[in-house]
Amino acid sequence: MLKRLMSVGLMLVLMLSLLAGCGKSVTDKGTNENAESAANFPEKGITAICPWSAGGGTDTVLRGLTQATEKELGQTITVANQTGGGGAIGHAAIISAPNDGYTVGMITFELNSLPPQGLVPFTSADLDPLLRVNMDAAAVTVKADAPYNTMDEFIEYAKAHPAELNIGNSGAGAVWHIAAGLLAEQADVEFSYVPFEGAAPAITALVGGHIDAVSVSAAEVQGQVQAGDLKILGVMSDERLELFPDVPTMKEQGYAVSFGTWRGIAIPTGTPESIKTILAEAFKKGLESEEFVAYAKNSGLVVAYQNSDDFKAFIATNAEEVATVMKSLGLAAK
Amino acid sequence: MNFDLLLNGFANILQPSVLILVFLGVTGGIMVGSLPGLTATMGIALLIPFTFGMPIESSMAMLLGIFSGAIYGGSISAILIRTPGTPAAAATLLDGYPLTLRGEAGRALSMSVFSSFVGGFTGALIMTFLSPQISKLALEFGPAEYFALSIFGLSIIISVSGGSILKGLIAGVFGLLIATVGLDPISAYPRFTFGIMDLFEGPSFIPTLIGLFALAEVFKGVENIVTQPKIESKITQLLPSRADIKISAKTIIKSSIMGTFIGAIPGAGSDIAAFVGYGEAKRTSKHPEEFGKGAIEGIAAAEASNNACTGGAMIPLLSLGVPGDAVTAVLLGAFIMQGLRPGPLLYRDHLDVVYSVFASMMVANVVMFIVGTFGVKFFAKVITINRNILLPVIFLLSLVGAYSMRNSMFDVGLAIGFGVLGYFLQRFEFPVSPILLALILGPMAEGNLRRALVISKGSMDIFFMRPISAILLLAAVISIATSVIKQRKLDEKMKMSE
Repeated sequence: MLKRLMSVGLMLVLMLSLLAGCGKSVTDKGTNENAESAANFPEKGITAICPWSAGGGTDTVLRGLTQATEKELGQTITVANQTGGGGAIGHAAIISAPNDGYTVGMITFELNSLPPQGLVPFTSADLDPLLRVNMDAAAVTVKADAPYNTMDEFIEYAKAHPAELNIGNSGAGAVWHIAAGLLAEQADVEFSYVPFEGAAPAITALVGGHIDAVSVSAAEVQGQVQAGDLKILGVMSDERLELFPDVPTMKEQGYAVSFGTWRGIAIPTGTPESIKTILAEAFKKGLESEEFVAYAKNSGLVVAYQNSDDFKAFIATNAEEVATVMKSLGLAAK
Repeated sequence: MNFDLLLNGFANILQPSVLILVFLGVTGGIMVGSLPGLTATMGIALLIPFTFGMPIESSMAMLLGIFSGAIYGGSISAILIRTPGTPAAAATLLDGYPLTLRGEAGRALSMSVFSSFVGGFTGALIMTFLSPQISKLALEFGPAEYFALSIFGLSIIISVSGGSILKGLIAGVFGLLIATVGLDPISAYPRFTFGIMDLFEGPSFIPTLIGLFALAEVFKGVENIVTQPKIESKITQLLPSRADIKISAKTIIKSSIMGTFIGAIPGAGSDIAAFVGYGEAKRTSKHPEEFGKGAIEGIAAAEASNNACTGGAMIPLLSLGVPGDAVTAVLLGAFIMQGLRPGPLLYRDHLDVVYSVFASMMVANVVMFIVGTFGVKFFAKVITINRNILLPVIFLLSLVGAYSMRNSMFDVGLAIGFGVLGYFLQRFEFPVSPILLALILGPMAEGNLRRALVISKGSMDIFFMRPISAILLLAAVISIATSVIKQRKLDEKMKMSE
């Protein structure tokens, strides 16, 4: 009796897996040949993969954006957090998702910093970027009572005291670590890098006077700067930030560094062009919606829209830059 | 301190519409907390989008309700089925589950809700009156101090080792070894990852916890699923007896204060607080041999401490703008979305909001006490369910819980693997809690040791020349010494009586 039940069960499993296999090939064919089906797209809910955990910065941006975009698409967008591996798991999940347009994902800077470490089997070329959402420039922030007020004074001090300035960042090989490395390279100085577990503990350590500076984004130190505990010496953006119009950029102070983290929406490669257009337009409208603009303003997010082609080119340039710096920081695979 | 504003805060919260939100928050929090794999952090993160439209006072009241409810809720499953619903409840099961096995689940649960309330309320009071002062202390904590704190925490391994210190240390070191898996915290070098992306951040904590405790218990339960008689649980009263309160009073007060302070240190959360509270209670107890076998003070210590931690964790969030733990990191996002930035500026410009957060915290704890007390009877029914129904349900819930942390099948496998390991560890009488403690504190110790050495350019002086760090290291040495001496005496006593 038990044996029979088992064999029936096994048969069922086999049949189901065969069916699932068929289903997959049918839909694959459908999406690639059948462009007119895009007219009805989307016919069901869409999943948005978030490579970072619920409640974090990327997650809240994605949830805000999908809420605004749902209205444009007329379908719900469900955020699925597939976290781990410093973002590797989520990015890999977006890459290997079915390319029928019903799975999109938020990609972040780590897409470019993971491959040089030689740890992940993908690069940014394995996805199709849809649009860039925001860009947050790095900033050099020190204690309000620190003896330096400009980048020049800071760099001068660093030159006189090589590898003595402790610069905190949000994690080994993370974006702000690389930002500080880039600055050191440009200014020809040596820093000592102190990676923390996230930006918040690094900022707290700076306020408490345990380190000399942090290289995290200006938005992240906003509260402490406004409260008068910290001061920003320079931001690594092309133009001054709306948030801190009095803080000069690095370029103004003679250091050619423009660097920051970015986020965007991407889809798996091979998604039909017509569906891609629908998604790109919907997300663009969501990004420009009153709702999202207000949210971005509250959280100090610098919205930096780029269309698919520009975003793709941007990612490629960024990838090269990141790989070079990581090599000189000793963070890249040999 | 501004009493007018505090009263105003209470007036904001004590409206029917807001009270209903707090009530919903607490009830939801207790449910989220009692289910393994659903943590306070997740509950709050998922609810935040729904609080967008509410005024900040109401949304904070509700979110703090979830926070308090969830940290208490974790103890329910810890006591009844030896499954900590949240990591914070891992110390509660040490004495809670033995009490359940003795048919005293009701007594354990009512002590848990009582001490959670006292702890939570004390934390809220300390937060209300001493926030600015305590937050200054929190800023003194740099990498050296965190390292010393984690060493002090690790010294508690001796207290949670049970009968054999040697076996406890073996388990602890095994936990530390597991904690080294993943990218190392300072140079991002992969260690023991075998190229598996899922292991880059080390084995995920919640699935490991679920495996070591819940699944191990299920596997053990299967051995006698048919033969074991149902556990009877008599519930005579909803509140703890006067005698129980009398024994635990000192412990509860001590744990409440320690828990608040540990919560106030950014990066040290309710799980660490619970273990420190438990370790301290056992170390200073007159009958430490009862700990781990169903000592009511064990529950009181752990629960008072972890709920006090909720108030403590709000201190650096409100006054410095830095979150005290994972939950408050998510709450920081909730503030920002409402256009408010916690920190000194919140105190300057929105003092009314600060005070309504104080008021919410106190009200949330009172509501938690009421819901929890009336729930005791209802929760305790769980163990009267037939075991051949209960065990499969726990098994399934555990797997779902392991999956849901990261939507990952890898984590399900991880939980099962640790479940098998936990089963055999129990079989050979190895304590499991030291592994857990090592998993929590190992990464903290390693990261901060190396961070401190980067800052000091390699000099060890940084650990001994800074007062807080030196005191904590000394406390660790004293804690180890007294625990070992006590254990020796106990062993001798046992031998004599044999």
